[in-house]
Amino acid sequence: MNEPPQSLQRRLVVLVAGLVAALWIGVAAFVWVKARHELDELHDGHLAQAAALLVTQHLREVEDDEPVNAPLLHRYAPRAAFQVWHEGRLALRSANAPDAPMVAAARTARDGFATVQIDGHAWRVFATRGAERDVQVFVGERVDARSAILRAMLGAMLQPLAVGLPLLALAAWWAVRRGLLPLRRLGDTLAQRRPDALQPVVLDDVPAEMAPMLAGLNGLLARIATLMEGERRFTADAAHELRTPIAAIRAQAQVALGADDDAERRHALEATLAGCDRATRLVEQLLTLSRLEAGSAPARREVDLAATARGVVAALAPQAVARDQDLGLEAAQPCPVQGDETLLEVLLRNLVDNALRYSPDGAVVQVRVERDGPGARLVVADAGPGLAEGDRRRLGERFFRVLGSGASGSGLGWSIVERIVAAHGGRVRSGRSAVLGGLEVTVDLPLSAGSARAA
Amino acid sequence: MRVLLAEDDPLLGDGLRAGLRQLGFQVDWVRDGEAALRELRAQPYAAAVLDLGLPLKDGMDVLAQARQRGLTMPVLVLTARDAVPERIRGLDAGADDYVVKPVDLHELAARLRALVRRAHGQPHERLRAQGVVLDPAGRTVTLDGADVSLAGREFDLLHVLMLNPGRVLTRDQLEQHLYSWGREVDSNAVEVHVHHLRRKLGSALIRTVRGVGYMLARDASGGP
Repeated sequence: MNEPPQSLQRRLVVLVAGLVAALWIGVAAFVWVKARHELDELHDGHLAQAAALLVTQHLREVEDDEPVNAPLLHRYAPRAAFQVWHEGRLALRSANAPDAPMVAAARTARDGFATVQIDGHAWRVFATRGAERDVQVFVGERVDARSAILRAMLGAMLQPLAVGLPLLALAAWWAVRRGLLPLRRLGDTLAQRRPDALQPVVLDDVPAEMAPMLAGLNGLLARIATLMEGERRFTADAAHELRTPIAAIRAQAQVALGADDDAERRHALEATLAGCDRATRLVEQLLTLSRLEAGSAPARREVDLAATARGVVAALAPQAVARDQDLGLEAAQPCPVQGDETLLEVLLRNLVDNALRYSPDGAVVQVRVERDGPGARLVVADAGPGLAEGDRRRLGERFFRVLGSGASGSGLGWSIVERIVAAHGGRVRSGRSAVLGGLEVTVDLPLSAGSARAA
Repeated sequence: MRVLLAEDDPLLGDGLRAGLRQLGFQVDWVRDGEAALRELRAQPYAAAVLDLGLPLKDGMDVLAQARQRGLTMPVLVLTARDAVPERIRGLDAGADDYVVKPVDLHELAARLRALVRRAHGQPHERLRAQGVVLDPAGRTVTLDGADVSLAGREFDLLHVLMLNPGRVLTRDQLEQHLYSWGREVDSNAVEVHVHHLRRKLGSALIRTVRGVGYMLARDASGGP
């Protein structure tokens, strides 16, 4: 058996064998006490009865001057002795009885039991006098005779334990081993699995005690499978998504190489550069997403959402001006939230950039930061074509692009927005802007604790 | 050779159109699936380059519906998806070739030429008829072994006729083969090109079917 030292099997076997041994020994101790008591009563009764017998018998029969030595007729006889004294003389005694009275005169004033030392042995002696008080009878029994009986009894009880305990341990070992079979089967099943096999573990005949564990394990496997599937899909999607910008760069570069006139070559080279910028932006978005997906909680510092929005709007303003778009910010008061400033910037830039990109030239894009009860609210609204209901539902899908819009984008922006909002414990929803008619994205974030009270 | 390019990515579409034009194709570029299907039905394209991730109508649907409507021109599917099941799905849906982005422009052009050639039952890379040999890849023509210099449109016209030997092509059909959208076509452009071709290659090669159009006589010898 090459079980590890702290195996469950060993613990169970030791526990069962130990408990059985303790119980057995307890029972033996109880029996010992009880039996000793009963034995004492019984033997004392016998001594008293024998003494009474001797008293009456002596009155009728023993008249001799010489003491009579009664023969020892049983192997236990040496351990029992008696004396019959008549008028101060030893009239009758067992062969092993001493010459002197078995109990000193001082202690024989009345009938009763006494424990005395005779020839170095402890004796239990019953002393009695006849009715005329001329006959003194002592009936004694060696105390160790009683102990021998008790010891024999105890031995009879404990010997089977000595033999039985190893047998019991063996039986328990077998039983526990059998009982733990499902556990070992589970272990074997798991050990034989390939690391990427994440389908649920199915075992026949699962004991009720193991069912929660198995359910927990399968739940975990399912979550890991979902996670890994997501990762796999993300990697594949990311790779595919990079193919288009690369294909564009390649095609444009080849066009530039094969161009006959300068205008054509120049156009192709500019397109090549634009393709590189697009690929770069895509890579940055992918990195942001993967960092967000790694699940590291964003740093929690107090960030003024209004100030952050001001910075982002300022940074994107040239892009808006180039297309004659009217980009405006409405942020009357500071809106402190707990969060990561860089991530909140990314969030804002994604939303505003998206609004600018999808709005026609000359359109209005409005950014609003305000306090809303216990939270901070960020609204980015545009005058673009907005989104159909179905498209809005699919926004969360990675790489979902609003098709036919003419703008080039990876469709990663919304995923990034959703993840950043979730990481900050907020909510994001999209709808139609009542004022501008285009898409309106509303982000609710919890206000930072101190300022929420102050507000 | 006039081809339809269906690609929604502005940069890639622009690059492919410019590149294929450099390599002698007439390219019409559409950016969504609906337009692709519409144009495939309306124009006699020699071939189509179809991106799968198209707006409004997925490329796969465009392909399936085009085939359903009996359109037989070769279709080359261009996609970012390279998983084998995707390729199988594409080919089963009626694609003649399946190319994963990014693709080399020259390779794309060669594949298109091969698709067109096979679609016209021409097993050989070079087309031959009555001593005239046309090399679509090199865009060269020889008559009895001697190089003949042809203008772009003349080459394209000869190419179309040689791809369809023994078939009468109307003037309208030839114009549609020769010109992508937005190119002004002179009313007698085809006649002018035929005239030039006859001057350079001999008058027997291209026959006029009065009131209908032109045809290239089948090569009596049959083989190369």
